[in-house]
Amino acid sequence: MSKIDIKNLVKSFGNQEVLHGINISISKGEFCVLVGPSGCGKSTTLRMVAGLETISGGEISIGDRVVNGLKPRERGIAMVFQNYALYPAKTIYNNMAFSLQQSKIDKKIIDEKVREVAKILEITELLDRKPATLSGGQRQRVAMGRAIVRDPEVFLFDEPLSNLDAQLRGQMRAEIKLLHQRLKNTVIYVTHDQVEAMTLADKIVIMKDGKIEQQGTPDDVFHNPQTLFVASFMGSPPMNLTNAKISKDGIKIKNSEINYKKSSNLKIDKNVVFGIRADDISLPEENDSGIPIKGFVTLVEQLGTENLAHFSVGDINFIAKTNARTKLKLNKEQSFNFNMKHAYFFDPDTGARIS
Amino acid sequence: MFKNITNNISNESIPYLFLLPCLLILGALLSIPLYKVFEYSLYDNVIVQKNPTFVGLQNYQEILGDKAFWDATLNTIIFTVGSVIGHLIIGTGLALLVNTDINPKARTLFRSLLILPWILTAVVVAVNWQLLLNPFGIINYGLDKLGLISEPLDWLGDPSLAMWSLLLISTWRGYPFIMVSFLSGLQSIPKELYEAAELDGAGFFGKFWHVTIPQLKPVVYGVALLDLIWTFQLFPLVWLTTGGGPGRETEVLSTMTFRYAFVNFEFSQASTVAVSILIISAAFTIFYLRNEKNRI
Amino acid sequence: MIFKKIIATLALSFALVANANAKTEIEWLQWFAAENTRDFYEGLVADFEAANPDISVKLVTQPFGKVRESIVTDNAVGVGSDVLGLNMPWTTGFLKSDILEPLDSYLSKGSNSFKTEKLVQAPIGKINGKTWMVPLNAFPFVMHVNMDLVNKAGFSEPPSSWSELKEQAVAISNLGDGISGIGMPLSSQPPSNGPILTFLPLLYSNGGRIMDGTSPNFDNAKVVETLSFINDLQKSGAMAPGYASRTGGVDLEEFIAGRSGFLISPGVHASAVATRNPDLNYDLVRVPTNGVNAYRVHGWELGIASSSRHKEEAWKFIDFLLSKEVNAKVAKASRALPGNLESLDLVSGEATPVMKTQMNILSGDEPVEELRQAPSAVPSWSIMTEEMQSMLRGDQSPNEAASKVQSRWLDLIS
Repeated sequence: MSKIDIKNLVKSFGNQEVLHGINISISKGEFCVLVGPSGCGKSTTLRMVAGLETISGGEISIGDRVVNGLKPRERGIAMVFQNYALYPAKTIYNNMAFSLQQSKIDKKIIDEKVREVAKILEITELLDRKPATLSGGQRQRVAMGRAIVRDPEVFLFDEPLSNLDAQLRGQMRAEIKLLHQRLKNTVIYVTHDQVEAMTLADKIVIMKDGKIEQQGTPDDVFHNPQTLFVASFMGSPPMNLTNAKISKDGIKIKNSEINYKKSSNLKIDKNVVFGIRADDISLPEENDSGIPIKGFVTLVEQLGTENLAHFSVGDINFIAKTNARTKLKLNKEQSFNFNMKHAYFFDPDTGARIS
Repeated sequence: MFKNITNNISNESIPYLFLLPCLLILGALLSIPLYKVFEYSLYDNVIVQKNPTFVGLQNYQEILGDKAFWDATLNTIIFTVGSVIGHLIIGTGLALLVNTDINPKARTLFRSLLILPWILTAVVVAVNWQLLLNPFGIINYGLDKLGLISEPLDWLGDPSLAMWSLLLISTWRGYPFIMVSFLSGLQSIPKELYEAAELDGAGFFGKFWHVTIPQLKPVVYGVALLDLIWTFQLFPLVWLTTGGGPGRETEVLSTMTFRYAFVNFEFSQASTVAVSILIISAAFTIFYLRNEKNRI
Repeated sequence: MIFKKIIATLALSFALVANANAKTEIEWLQWFAAENTRDFYEGLVADFEAANPDISVKLVTQPFGKVRESIVTDNAVGVGSDVLGLNMPWTTGFLKSDILEPLDSYLSKGSNSFKTEKLVQAPIGKINGKTWMVPLNAFPFVMHVNMDLVNKAGFSEPPSSWSELKEQAVAISNLGDGISGIGMPLSSQPPSNGPILTFLPLLYSNGGRIMDGTSPNFDNAKVVETLSFINDLQKSGAMAPGYASRTGGVDLEEFIAGRSGFLISPGVHASAVATRNPDLNYDLVRVPTNGVNAYRVHGWELGIASSSRHKEEAWKFIDFLLSKEVNAKVAKASRALPGNLESLDLVSGEATPVMKTQMNILSGDEPVEELRQAPSAVPSWSIMTEEMQSMLRGDQSPNEAASKVQSRWLDLIS
């Protein structure tokens, strides 16, 4: 296993620059997730580490080697593709053995390795079949098996779970996590799903428009978002965000006032974006701490495990999480407690966090 | 009154009614000549005499014992297999080249140029190659200047060269079909397979052998078989370049048929050879169809 | 009742009108109009129709290569043209299938516009006691000469004997640069008629024949002698390389392009040379002799289909074409000699020296035509071509070649 250093990575397609200087340091055995909306450059970054895209500027090192000029097969990496990319004409056994066969390793050793990995992934009974006869989940395991057999320095995953249904996705997520705990490999994992990012990552790198918005531990980026984008991207349901003005006693959201002991770097009359998570808005009967705000319930989404109550304060909409068993009446005025200890304030122009 | 009729025609037979005009025309154009030729092969002196004599399978017995027939059959097999191999090699090679990442305008230009041999009619191809391969033609000139030959070679008139020249012309003429079929096959191969192979350590040949060829196999099979069937019956190219000569060195079954019919006016023998071509082609076709069925 | 009467009246009037315009239409199948595209034959037809208002003539023009096939297949199907353009070598094949109508009764008509004894006799000769065709025009086989090459090789006159031919041809070949003395068009590509283009004329000027009456007689001394001469030309380097892929057309093209010293072919090719390469220093002479002044005679013939339903009208048209003035016009248009020798006067006045030479040959030397009687003539040429190829390659002697041709030819007709 090796560490990975990405320094000032730049990528241009023709005259179009799509990556504007990416810096990431991944330590040995760390599970790093690149997450962001479509087009943010996460896949491009991954492919440049793999050697499938050329590097326009900057440096990538795997271990102590700068791999800029090296061919993919010389970099010591293995990749799991979104569409699995299994060789359709080969058996599962040969799919997994292919890279070792290309390196002209002894047949006996290849057999040992393949069967060992197959056992770990519980696909031993599939070894003689062809990819077309396997289900999506099975193919995904084979794709991982193919990578594991190579014993590479780095594992690269390119949105491997996107093609699976929700239930399978959850299952595979857990399996990947377990595998990582067991094999302790260095991983770069690309996804657009922030749940996957939160659950799998040791380090999350949030990207947007070819730049890194924030990188850190899941806890970091979730509870300490440095930008408006990160705040709104992480978490489901997304953080409640609304324009507000700092007033003498608190904050003014349109016509409502929240009395709140604010921190010193919030200047009076400053326009801010006020953010609070749904978890931090509750019904008084469930949590009696916090500043009460009155609103009209417009919609209740029942998730089974909890409810999402949509309510409006004036013409501003909020979402609160409530107990699944609580019954709320629609279009009736209801009081909600805002836990201002977990309020966030952002600069409306730069998106940067103020406090 | 009409309502009764239309009620009686069941829904199932309506598709057949739609097909009926087409089937009638095709049936007439194909089956009647087919039947007639087979009929001719059972008579002696058909067409040249108003009342030909029925001889049953005698004509077949005769050609089976005729050395010229077997020579022509052998030539046809050599010509067919040789041409198809040539088509496959050149067609595949060019398909791979045209599929690479080069300037899209250049790629389109090459693609169009490389298809030309197929678009030209047989007469144009034949006449042009005759001029090129003329003892005082440009090919001999080039070879002479390169110092490879000292005397002009009679490409189409020398018994040891004629069949090779014919194979060269036939390969040149027919490779585009394979090339185009392969191009579309190549373009349907997902790029990711190549990337996976690259990561797995496969070089150029590794990728070709383990990714390209297995994906192309179904295409190759169908296309090669079609090519075999077509080339087996090929007539204009051979007739117009060598006429079956020198001597009967390049005589194939189709030229033999034509010769019997329109040079010798021996229509019975011609029909017999024609039917034998049909039988062999039909065997190939059945083989092809059965294989298609199995693969689905 | 009235309804029926009206229908009857209408029907009757239609019939009368149709009959009033009834013209007999006859079809003329030929290739001549394909070679002369300046509406000459259309003009002839118009002249004929003007003089014979109750006959209309439909020109059916096909390339030469197709006409022979068309005649046979049309006959098999039961459709056919009335007047047929013919080549003498096709005769035996057509007779086997009863395609031609005997012309004796027509030739003996007093009302004919020509005298039978004044026609070129070759096509008129009786086969099975009957006459089957008449000559529209005639051309002798001659030798075309490129005088520039002859002079360059050091000679002042074209060759007139076999030995002179060999000497000059070798010398011309030695000029190098892709130039040869003489070509031998022995391509196997049908009609593979090389032997009758070049071999037969030389055979005739050696006093030889390939037929004995109506049977093939290919393995005789004169034939072997002629084959040996040709073999000799090849061995001494006088012959252009690539004989086995050289068609008659290529042979002519090479001469026109100035790369051959000599070309043995029909006299009509003189006009092709004149139009395509007027700068060529061209001359036309007899085929060099080996003791005999004989020439192979060829031409465009006319016949009547046995299945024609308008034979009288067909003959009227043929009569028209053979009449003195019309025949002279045809001769001029086709750059050949008239089939009606009485037209020679009309033609000779404006004749070029080249034409005059041909006329001398036509009227003075012995005409030879064997292919009308040759059984399976066209297929036999393939056999001759193949055996001559083999001989020139060195795979067999002239003697062996001659015997092989004879035995294969006999096999063919049995």
